[in-house]
Amino acid sequence: MSGDFDAIVIGAGHNGLVAAARLAKEGKRVVVLETSPVVGGLLGGSDPVAAMPFGIHPKIHSGLGLARHGLRYGAPMKTLSLGGEGRVEIDGAVARGVSQAMAANYADLHRKLARYSGALARMLTKAPPRFRDGVVGDMLTMAQLGLSIRGLGKADMRDMLRIILSNVWDLCEDEIGDGPLAAALAMDATLGGGIGPRSPGTVLTLLYRMASTGSGGAGQRSTPVGGAAAVVSALVKAAETSGAAIRTSAPVARILVDDNDRAIGVALENGEEIRAPLILSNATPRRTLLDLLGPQHLNAEDVARLRHMATNGMVARLDLDLAELPAGLTEADLAHRIVVAGDMRQVERAFNAAKYGELPAVPAVEFTGRKTENGWRLAALAQFAPSDLKGGWSKAKKDRLAKSVIKVLDGAIPGFGGKITGAEVRSPTDLEATYGLTGGHWHHGELRIDQMLMMRPFAGAAQYRMPVAGLYLCGAGAHPGGDISGLPGWNAAGQAIKDGGAQ
Amino acid sequence: MNKALTPRPQMPMGVLKTPFHERMDAENFQQSWMNWNGYASPGVLDTAEFEYFAIRNQATLFDISPMCKFRIKGPDAEAVMNRMMTRDIRKQKPGRVSYVIWCDEDGNVVDDGTLFRRSEDEFLLFCQEPQLLWIKDVAWGFDVEATEVTHDLAGFAFQGPTTAATLRDLKIRDVEEMRAFDIRDIKIAGKRVMISRTGFTGDLGYELVMAPKDALAVWDAVYAAGQRRGARIIGNEALEMARIEAGFLLPRVDFISSQTNLRVNRARTPYEIGLDWLVTFDKPHFNGKRALQRLAGVAPKRKLFAIEISRDKAAHHALVYHRKTREVGFVTSALWSATTKRNIAYAWLEAPFGQIEKDDLWVEIYLQREIEWQRRMERVQIVERPFFVHKRRTATPPLNF
Repeated sequence: MSGDFDAIVIGAGHNGLVAAARLAKEGKRVVVLETSPVVGGLLGGSDPVAAMPFGIHPKIHSGLGLARHGLRYGAPMKTLSLGGEGRVEIDGAVARGVSQAMAANYADLHRKLARYSGALARMLTKAPPRFRDGVVGDMLTMAQLGLSIRGLGKADMRDMLRIILSNVWDLCEDEIGDGPLAAALAMDATLGGGIGPRSPGTVLTLLYRMASTGSGGAGQRSTPVGGAAAVVSALVKAAETSGAAIRTSAPVARILVDDNDRAIGVALENGEEIRAPLILSNATPRRTLLDLLGPQHLNAEDVARLRHMATNGMVARLDLDLAELPAGLTEADLAHRIVVAGDMRQVERAFNAAKYGELPAVPAVEFTGRKTENGWRLAALAQFAPSDLKGGWSKAKKDRLAKSVIKVLDGAIPGFGGKITGAEVRSPTDLEATYGLTGGHWHHGELRIDQMLMMRPFAGAAQYRMPVAGLYLCGAGAHPGGDISGLPGWNAAGQAIKDGGAQ
Repeated sequence: MNKALTPRPQMPMGVLKTPFHERMDAENFQQSWMNWNGYASPGVLDTAEFEYFAIRNQATLFDISPMCKFRIKGPDAEAVMNRMMTRDIRKQKPGRVSYVIWCDEDGNVVDDGTLFRRSEDEFLLFCQEPQLLWIKDVAWGFDVEATEVTHDLAGFAFQGPTTAATLRDLKIRDVEEMRAFDIRDIKIAGKRVMISRTGFTGDLGYELVMAPKDALAVWDAVYAAGQRRGARIIGNEALEMARIEAGFLLPRVDFISSQTNLRVNRARTPYEIGLDWLVTFDKPHFNGKRALQRLAGVAPKRKLFAIEISRDKAAHHALVYHRKTREVGFVTSALWSATTKRNIAYAWLEAPFGQIEKDDLWVEIYLQREIEWQRRMERVQIVERPFFVHKRRTATPPLNF
């Protein structure tokens, strides 16, 4: 089939860039079409929403030669948990600032979870298996997961299967006890999702996050030298040196489909049409299929599944400007991820409010920061801030959220409140408007057991292939999901190439 | 009394009465009633045989009010119906009816029904199973309104050779020009009636639909006018005999809707049911199209066949054997057809039986004769559907009988 390009990638988020780079490296003529004037999606801009990426997966790092394009990492990011009485420092399996007994128990727990997540990690770099029709290759993939879990040994396997669908609250209560240390784990298990520490399946989300191995190892965020912008720039270079073209301010209005039920190109909002036999969309599943493709090309069942996908964003982003740092916070601290939640109970309570569409009185917060010309700028994430807030989001609601976040931070870091010179809140609905994130959900859809693996984005549409031939999903809405690993983009491009790509 | 404890108005208890109930009740000597979609529907009023022969020789009234009915209206009504049905609805002109099936994403049949195109942007769908949620799912994202009108429309089928003459007696001039599957808006007894030349019997017949408040007036006028020509009220048993002869299939009897089956592999495709003549791929995407395109290329694993059986005993629920030993299928509907003088049935046969292996097929019929059971092996012949269709079904103008 002739066309302007071999492949079109819709959206220049990191997954779109990874997919474009992989396709271009395979010799495809690729164009990336980005709606906004800047590339990088949630990693883009000077104050990216995802300020603390987990890190591009090592397989992609080497596969695209990102080191050559200038991507280097510092030491893995530590976590400081400040909400409690003391100051707890977490560095992988090592916890400081807690009792010796708790530190020992935590080390055991961390090692255990790292082993379990290792068994899961093998699934992340593959297209998920299909259950329908009993395809042999898919059965093998499933069997491999079974084997890698079995490979943990009998005791570990039993334990993993015992806890995997339980909740992080019970796990931490059993193994280490509640407190700032457990709260930091609970944040990891719930951040971004409509789930609290007591929600079933939160051990799985924790393991899943730990399996998203970046440079930092199990569960630790990476520290790219130069920040998120360095990741974006390396990916752009990787794509462009292989010949991919990246066009910004080029919003796609529609995916074009021919009479033979094949995706053949896209129409931009300015009316321009670009043709290619292969289209990968980094937009959310709902935006891709319902808005860009349109329900007329889908079976009613798939439309219903898309409509019912859990995509309620629960995180608000706050940018806080400080003239100077308060006494309790040093410049060195800001190189870390700082969690402010006294215990799991506080995280759960914050979720309780959000569950019913309310703002929590005491939100759970994590932040990092950087020096600016006029002082300091903190990038904070506050949960839980429901996108379906009762009465909708307004300036007053944002102010209330900002006030409660500042109060929480002031409680943990004395003198914090007095240093604030400005605060800007971006609600989930703002994120939806800016980035086209359905429901403001930064994973494009809740990461939970019924929306994972072969159920991601929804049953029957896994494996990146969308119902219309030639159309693939390459964003966080596809397996293995969010957290800035680049794997959905990598896997989707791999699947497209395997399927014959631009033939 | 505490307001919270005040009883709220309840749904009526038990089966409901259709607008025609009192007329049917007055002539229902058997007082045999069935529950059809929550309504009392006569099983048999006098004897099934009298009623059956009335279908074939006279004129009959059968209450179809309990049938599920939906209105689909709006600028995208045609697009939505075309998206739902396997036929090309764009070709169906306003004022025409078509027999339709619709499929799920796997290409399994959800239900069948009759689709009335009332205008460019309005359709009525009559079918057996509740489908409102299905229609709404299909219509999501389209500019169309789908409502259930099951309880808002009364209707009866007026079927049999003398129906056209009766309508002539009522001065319904449209009868002369109405071809099969035509719809007209007429007045009977001063009431507005939607009449269509459709039916379930393979013979001349009409279906009349009206507002429930007008139901008795229309019924009375037609029934009175029909008395000269042997009109009678019939129940489900007689209709069932006629529908088997006429080659129509019944969901829940001959196949299971893919929305109601509990066991896997019980849902059926149009290719298995033998309704593939209703599937066309020469149209934009419709529900199940991709699966149906795959299915179209392979021989079905099993198929529903019309069969004819030797001798005269109906093969109700009989098993089908190859060489009298190997079990290869079963009968769903069976009848000794008095009109065609044939012993007929529908049977599911596992491939390759019926498709390639057509010979040496047998049914095992159990007969009870004054307590004692007898077993008969009778020879099976694969035949074409329908078993009975009369040329007066489509003759226009219809003749007087």
